[in-house]
Formats: sequence, structure tokens, C-alpha cells
Amino acid sequence: MILRVVLTLLSHYRRHPGQLAMLLVGLWVASALWSSVQAINATAKESYARANALFSLETDQLARSDGIALSIDDYFLLRQAGLPVSPLLESSLTIENTRLTVLGIDLLTLPASNGNSRTTANGGSLTEFISPPWQTQLSPDTLQVFRLDRQQALGATPSIGEQRLPPLTLRNDLPPNTLVMDIAAVWALFGEQATLSLVTASGALSQPPEGYRLTRATSLASPEQLTDSFHLNLTALALLSLVVGLFIVQAALGLAMEQRMTTLRTFRALGVPGKTITLAILLELLLFGLIGAALGLISGLWLAGKLLPDVASTLSSLYQADVQRSLALPWHYWLGSVAITLGGLLLAGSGVLWRATKLQVLALGQSYAWRFSYQRQLMRMLQAGGLAGAITLGLATCLSLLPAGEGLVVSFSLVAALLFTCALCLPPALNALLQLLQRLLRRRPLGQWLAADMQLQLPRLSLAMMALLIALATNLGVSSMVGGFRLTFLEWLDQRLAAPLYINATPSTLTPLNEWLTSQPEVLETLPTARGNTRLLAINSAMENERNANESALLSSIAVFGISTVPTLTSQWPLLETFDGIPRAWEALAQQSVFINEQMAVARALQPGDSVLLETLQGAVWFTVAAIYPDYGNPQQQLLVTVDTLMQRFEGELASTGIVLHSEADTDAFRQALSTEFDLSPDTLVNQQEIKEAATQIFERTFSITRALNGLTLGVAALALLATLLAQAQQRQRQLATLWALGVPRATLALLPLIQLGGLALITGLLAIPLGITITWLLVAVINVAAFGWRLPLQLFPLDIAVMLLTAFSVALFAAALPTLQLWRTSPRALLNEETQ
Amino acid sequence: MLALQQVSKTFTTPQGQLLVLNEINLTLARGESLALMGESGSGKSTLLHIAAGLEAPDLGHVVIDEQSLSSLNEPARAKLRRQQLGLIFQQFHLVPSLNVIDNLTLQARLAHKEDGEWSAYLLDRLGLAGRERHYPEQLSGGQQQRLAIGRALAVRPSLLLADEPTGNLDEQSADTVLALLLDLVKETQCALLMVTHSARVAAPLDRTFHLHLGSLKETKR
Ligand SMILES: Nc1ncnc2c1ncn2[C@@H]1O[C@H](COP(=O)(O)OP(=O)(O)OP(=O)(O)O)[C@@H](O)[C@H]1O
Ligand SMILES: [Mg+2]
Repeated sequence: MILRVVLTLLSHYRRHPGQLAMLLVGLWVASALWSSVQAINATAKESYARANALFSLETDQLARSDGIALSIDDYFLLRQAGLPVSPLLESSLTIENTRLTVLGIDLLTLPASNGNSRTTANGGSLTEFISPPWQTQLSPDTLQVFRLDRQQALGATPSIGEQRLPPLTLRNDLPPNTLVMDIAAVWALFGEQATLSLVTASGALSQPPEGYRLTRATSLASPEQLTDSFHLNLTALALLSLVVGLFIVQAALGLAMEQRMTTLRTFRALGVPGKTITLAILLELLLFGLIGAALGLISGLWLAGKLLPDVASTLSSLYQADVQRSLALPWHYWLGSVAITLGGLLLAGSGVLWRATKLQVLALGQSYAWRFSYQRQLMRMLQAGGLAGAITLGLATCLSLLPAGEGLVVSFSLVAALLFTCALCLPPALNALLQLLQRLLRRRPLGQWLAADMQLQLPRLSLAMMALLIALATNLGVSSMVGGFRLTFLEWLDQRLAAPLYINATPSTLTPLNEWLTSQPEVLETLPTARGNTRLLAINSAMENERNANESALLSSIAVFGISTVPTLTSQWPLLETFDGIPRAWEALAQQSVFINEQMAVARALQPGDSVLLETLQGAVWFTVAAIYPDYGNPQQQLLVTVDTLMQRFEGELASTGIVLHSEADTDAFRQALSTEFDLSPDTLVNQQEIKEAATQIFERTFSITRALNGLTLGVAALALLATLLAQAQQRQRQLATLWALGVPRATLALLPLIQLGGLALITGLLAIPLGITITWLLVAVINVAAFGWRLPLQLFPLDIAVMLLTAFSVALFAAALPTLQLWRTSPRALLNEETQ
Repeated sequence: MLALQQVSKTFTTPQGQLLVLNEINLTLARGESLALMGESGSGKSTLLHIAAGLEAPDLGHVVIDEQSLSSLNEPARAKLRRQQLGLIFQQFHLVPSLNVIDNLTLQARLAHKEDGEWSAYLLDRLGLAGRERHYPEQLSGGQQQRLAIGRALAVRPSLLLADEPTGNLDEQSADTVLALLLDLVKETQCALLMVTHSARVAAPLDRTFHLHLGSLKETKR
């Protein structure tokens, strides 16, 4: 019996394939975008887990205080002193545009807690690893670089230039694009080109040895911590499209249910128990859910595959976190995706199920009580909207009590609550507006009909309108945020990159190079920079009394960046806040002051005028914070001092040198001379243009996924509107045909739906603008600060807003045009005759 | 008032050609009432729709008030319908978004012929007084039918085309409605073409026609 009921229920979709399409599209979209983002997140997580297992995060690293590269002599010296250090040789290879990191480790001395000590367990005997021809350990996903598959891989010795790599061995726990081999093998392959570093077990040394500095493992944030907010952003967007997709599903289910009410009643009248009917609907939902989930998974994976390379390069350029470029999905991913789709479907279908259980065998007329029940539904929506509004206010209060830069989850919840408040209040608001219009237009029968008829359609349209409102507002928010960031970022880059030419070389090259530059006649100015580290010991804020930096702050080191305060740079360098004016701030920097980046100001609640106690080579010293500067794209806190201060007081080294030449100087000749004088490789010399291009590229990649998801969501909402409108097109035609019979000319009739739906979409679009602006503000001033540590100025792009409005408007017009077209093609009289479905 | 000249209509269905009307001739003068009878599916509604200009005949002409419908363009036909015709459909075709009074006056307002007193009178005669603010779905089938009649009468049409206007009414209300229709025909000198199944309803009308296998035959009384 139940099978018969299910089959009859399904037969409805044979006559209304549009509804089936709408239902499946909704499910498909909801599950596709969600599963693609989850696939990306899961893949990234997997990569991070492998990276964590590698040496760098579990061992402390030693470096020379004087900035000179470590040599084998340092190793001997430290070992003679009895310190438990292990050497690491690092080099890199570029094959087919992919950079591979080659790590040479000494298994015999490597700290035991390390992931690499597992080598022997998985990869065969210790002897094989440490004796010629050695082994190259790599993760299976790195194989594609060598154009090898798993079968061919074992024992293969791919050639690199004139040499060959040691036989390959697969190790699943290695990060992507990393080759691990014995230190002797790296030496044999790269010789002097490989850089030596020395590591010790984490915490093995309480003090760095004399003349060395120690970078503690704990001070290096794991990629997972750094990229958390990035992934949260993605998840939030995916959740949004899930919600929009479920809106469509809900609308489609509701429509199909409404049209099948008579059938269901007939079943009940024929003696089918209510339970069987509910069960049949549940079965139907399950069937659609599985189809939707399958479609969603397939296309989600395809989409993830398309987006992953961009995401991976964003993560590597922004956070130096390596993520493999092909998907790696654990079993719980599959289960989770299907569960989300089914769960969402049941949620969206709960209303339909509820109606099925309350089904009355006898119902007067086809929709006798709809008007009353819709009024009740509007009331409920308003109540739910009020509740959501209260939650919004609560979250906003909660957020305002939190220190700046915290509460990422709260902020996202706030955005969600705000969206829901507005979405829930939209139908009651539209209803009230139409009611009012109907009164105002009493004297004009067509005008009155327009408003009254719209009001009648509202129950079916409201879900699509809600989805549209949410999608439009989010779209506006996200696109203004991205656009604003783009402008701010590019301007900031222009200001920061004052010199036309930059040299990135090792500190040992830069020291003599800077000397040499000062004696060159072509050089107008040199802008050296330096990098270092310090620890923040205490803070003396003007607001509170002296307070000790908290526990974690004591552990974590803070990056120090050194610049030279020449006018070429200071006249352009952007500052956000100063204590007493920009010129005074730069004067102060030349003395006993520091600048801090916005991330640090937010994280430590610092303001210009506060002072910080820093660890220096001369012991703990108080520095005044003279200014705060924007530092977009940097995930870490940073202090800014002059190069001189940095070299004298902190552990650091020269990082790069910017060169400004006289305007009449021959740049190419100068570059040539510089390269030959210091034997520089071509990529150490970069001009400003290249850096800007690279930075812009990073930027574009960072937001390509955001933009893709955002665009898709808007597309989905448009689709939802279109599908809903098409689903009731037939009914619309009957309404129009009645008017036609009463003597309204066809040309007028053609205009009516256009005015109705275009107007409705326009109103929704107009309402989305203030909501979108609020969301933009939340994104740039709250979420961005919490996620990345920097705030962006609120910028709006009228053109984008106009395009957004136009999109909504044209989708509505397009959908409205279809019934009109039908009216033109077939005789309205035929439409009059069609039985009410 | 109304003249059908050699009107033929064939429907093309997937199952083949269906000749519904075959060279029909019919004239209806002002103030005259005419009943159209015939078995179900014989083409009565089709004939009515053709007479109203809702559908074009394959062959022949429809003349209303000395104007041939085929010589008018669409807006002019719509205007004629709006101003002069009262249509009562078999399936009512009320506007679900408008309440009783707005439904009743809809065509009259579209034709700029609204007359409050007349509407109130109609409501009263049709037994719908007090239901002005109700919506069509809150009315019973018979009440909906009476509302559909009211809507057609509210414009004071010069030609009234009614498709089984009493089909859903009990005998007593049917009699009331019929009396109203006939009163109106007398009062305004309008012409009435009414489709009905019931000989009882057809009796008070001036003439009765039978539609059978596409041809029209007058029934002598
Ligand atoms: N648009 C159409 N396409 C095809 N066939 C049609 C169409 N409209 C009507 N018909 C057919 O034409 C015939 C006459 O239909 P019509 O509605 O005029 O009958 P009727 O006499 O009014 O019947 P009833 O008394 O049941 O209302 C029927 O067989 C019907 O199936
Ligand atoms: Mg009929």
C-alpha cells in the first residue's frame, strides 16, 4: 500500500517536472557548495596535520646572533659544548613550476619525540635510510610532480638535472611537496647550496648558548591556528549557501504538497491510514535527499577541485601553510556531507510533514482557510523575527563587551541572526505594504488588483524573497568588503613600496652590499630593512596601570621589523594612529620609540602613548608606542623600529634593501653591475612592479573563492526566485485570463506581472541595501579584526549595488515575462477553461 | 444586437479533428432572451465564448451591435467586452484576491461605469448583502455563482452571455436569479443568451435552441 502511495505522490512530478527540478536544484546547490567547502577544509586540515608531524613545529631552532648563516663549525662547537643539537640540511628543487622542499635529516641525533623518528617504523630499516643509495621519502600526492603513479613510484629514481634522487619511498604522513632524505644524501645532491639549521628537542635548552638565539617551537603558531579564521570564513559562506539552498527546497516541497493535498485527502478518504501517508512522504523526502546528496557531492568535489589550487596558494602565500592541491578526504567527510543534506532536507520538509500529519479528510473547498492560516503564519514569522531580533541585540551587546579582535564566532552568529531577523520580518512587511497599497489604490481597479493579487501570491513567494534578501545583502556585504580591501590594500602597497628596486639576499651579502651602495654615484637613497625577534614582557597602558603581559604573551615572541627613516619612505608610509602627529611620530621612532602594527594594537589593546617592556640585548627596556600602522596580509603581530635600533638592541638580521636611483641613472646597467659585483642570482633583484604584481595576485587568489561562493549564492537565490515564479506561472495565467475576459486588453495584461514582480524584487533589493551595508560594516570592522587583526575602512561601490539591484530586478522580470509570453501565444480562452489544479 | 453568421469551429486534438460548430446562424435582438440547450460536450460554451469574442471562429462572422468582431483589433474587442458585455462563466472565474464587493464592481470600475446604488441593489437581490468583505473562497458554490452573475450585471451590459448561471443553485434561488436576469433584460433592453440544461429554466425565455452535432435547431413551443 505504501508503495502505491509513494508512487502516486511521485507521479505528481511527472506532470510538474519544473517542481522536481526546483527541488533537486535546491538540494543540489545546498549540498554542493557545502560539500565543496568542507572538502577544501578537510583537505587543508589533513595537510596541516601532516605538517605538524614534521620537525619544525616540535623542535626549537638555533641561529647565530650575528646573522651569519650556520656552518658545520657551529655544529661542532655546540656538540663539543655537550648540547643535544641535530643538524638539518634544507634545500629546494623546482620541478614543473612546483617548488619542492628537500630536507636532509640525521636520524641518529634527531630528537626522539619527532614525527620523523617514525621513519623506521613505516619506511623500512634504519640502515636503508642512512646508507647509500639512501631513500627519498615523500607523500603520495607529491608523486604527480614526477609524473609517477603509485605502482611505478616505489624504488624509482627520478632525475633532477644531471643527478638522480635516491629511490622513492612513500610516507603518508609527510606534508605535500616535501622530500625527506638522509642528511648525507642532501649533501651529495646539493652540497654547499643547502642551508644548514640546527634543532634541539623542544624545551631541551633553557637558555640559548652564547652567541646564538633560539626560536622556540611554541612561538611558531601552527598553520592550523593561523588559518583557522580563514577556514571559518569559508564555512560561514558555505553555511549561507546551504541555507539559501534549503529555502528553495522548502519552497518546492511546500508547493508540491499544496498541489497534492486533494490526492492525499482522497487517499485518506479511501481508507489509507494517516501514518502510512506520513511515512510515504518521509520516504519520498529520503529518496530526494539521497539523489540530492549524491548530485551535490559529485559537483561539490568538482568545484572543490577547481577552487583548491587557489585556496592552496592563498594559504601558502598568506600563512606559509602548505596545502596539497588535490583533494584528500577522510571517511567522515562523506558521511558528514550526506548527513548535512539529509538533515537539511528533513528540516526544510518538517513543515510539509507536519501538515501531512494534521491532514483532515474533509476540507471545505480547496484552500478554504488559507487566508486565515497565512495571517497566522505571518504573525508567527513576525514573532520569530522578533525573537531573532532579540538574539541579534543580545549578540551585539555580547560583542561590544568583548575586547576588540575577539569573538569571531559571536560576530558570525550576529551576522546570521541579523540576516534571519530581516528575512523573517520581510513577508509581514511586504504584506503590510501591499495592504496599504490596496487601500490607496481603491479607486483604480487594476492598481487594486495588482496589489491584492500580489498579496495573494505572497505566501508562495515569501520564501524566495527571503532567500533573495539574504543573498543580496550578503552579496553586497562581501563584495564591498572585497572591493574595499582591494582598494585599501593596493594603496597601502603603493605607500609601503617606496623604492623602485629591491634586493632580497642573505644578511651576509646585504652588509657589504649596503656599504657598496653608499659609494655609488647613481644611488640616490638606500632603504635597508631588517628583521628580528623580541619578547614582550610587560605593558604600561595609559588607561590601566602597568600590567604584565599574560602567560602566552611571555612565551610568544614578537617579530620586529626595521626600516630606515629617510623621507622617501616616511613621507609615504601609512600610519593609522599617532600620539602627537605624524612628523613627531617619525622623530620619536628615531629615538626610543616603536611603532606597532594594527594586529598587535588590537591583540594587546595598545594605543599610541602606551609603553611596552621588551627584551633587548641590553636587558629589558621600556619603549613608547608612537604610532600604529596598517599591516594588511600579515597574520602576525609586529613591532617597527629603525634598522639601527634593531641591529643594536634586538636579535635580528638585514632582510632586504630598497634602492632609489637618480632619475637619469641607467637602471639596467646598474642592475647588471650590482649582480656581477655581488654574484647575485636574478631573482634576488626585484623591482617594485613585480612585488606589486605578486601581492595583487595573492590578493586576487585570496578572494577568488570568496567571490566564487558569493556569486554562486546570488545565482542560487535568483534561481530560487525564478523557480518559484515559474512554478506558479500556470496559476498566474488563469488570473490574467479572467481579467482579459472582463475586457482588459492584452497589452495591459502583459504589463501587470512585470510591474508586480519587478516591483516586489525592487523593494526587496532596496531593503537589502541597508542590510548589506550593515553587514559590510560588520565584516570590515568586526569580523575582519577578529579574524585577521586589521580593520578596513567602510567603502561602498554604488556601481556594484546597482548591478545587484539590476540582477534581482531582471530575474523577476524574466520570470514574469514567461506567463505573459504564454498569454500571447495561446488563446486566453484556453487558459480560462483549464481546471484549477 | 448579436448575430452569428455561418460560424464554424473545429478543435484539433491529439485524437483528431473535432467539429464542434458547423455553420451556425443565430440572431438576437435587443431585449430578447434566448436559451441554448444541448447535451454535455455539444459545444454550448464554445458558442458562447465565440459570441463574446473570447475565441475566434474558424469560419463565419460574429456581429455585435453592428460591429463585426473580426474587423476589430484586440484592444477594441477588449473595450467592447468591457463596456457592453456581461459574461457569466460556467466556472465563475472570480478573482480570488478581491473581496465580494470589489469582485462585483470590478468590471464596472474597469469600464468606468461604477454605480454604488446599483451594486448595492444587486448585492441585495442576489442575497449577498452583508458578505461584502468576504473573499470568494469563503462563499459556497451557489453564492460564488450569484457573485459571478452580479459582476456581469453590475456593468449594465447590452449583451448578457450566461453559461449555466443557475447550475449550482437550488430551485428557489434559481428562480430568484432567473427573475432578476429577466427583469434586467426588460429594464435595460439588453439581450440575453443563456446556456442551460434545465427546460424549467429555459421556459420563461423568449426562444429556445438546441445544439446537436454542431447544428442549431430552434425548439418550437
Ligand atoms: N480548447 C479546446 N481544445 C480541444 N477541444 C476542446 C477545447 N475546448 C472545448 N473542446 C471540446 O469541444 C467540445 C465542446 O466543448 P464545450 O465546452 O463547448 O461543451 P459544452 O456544451 O459547454 O459542455 P458542458 O455542458 O459539459 O459544459 C467538447 O468535446 C470539448 O472537449
Ligand atoms: Mg459548458
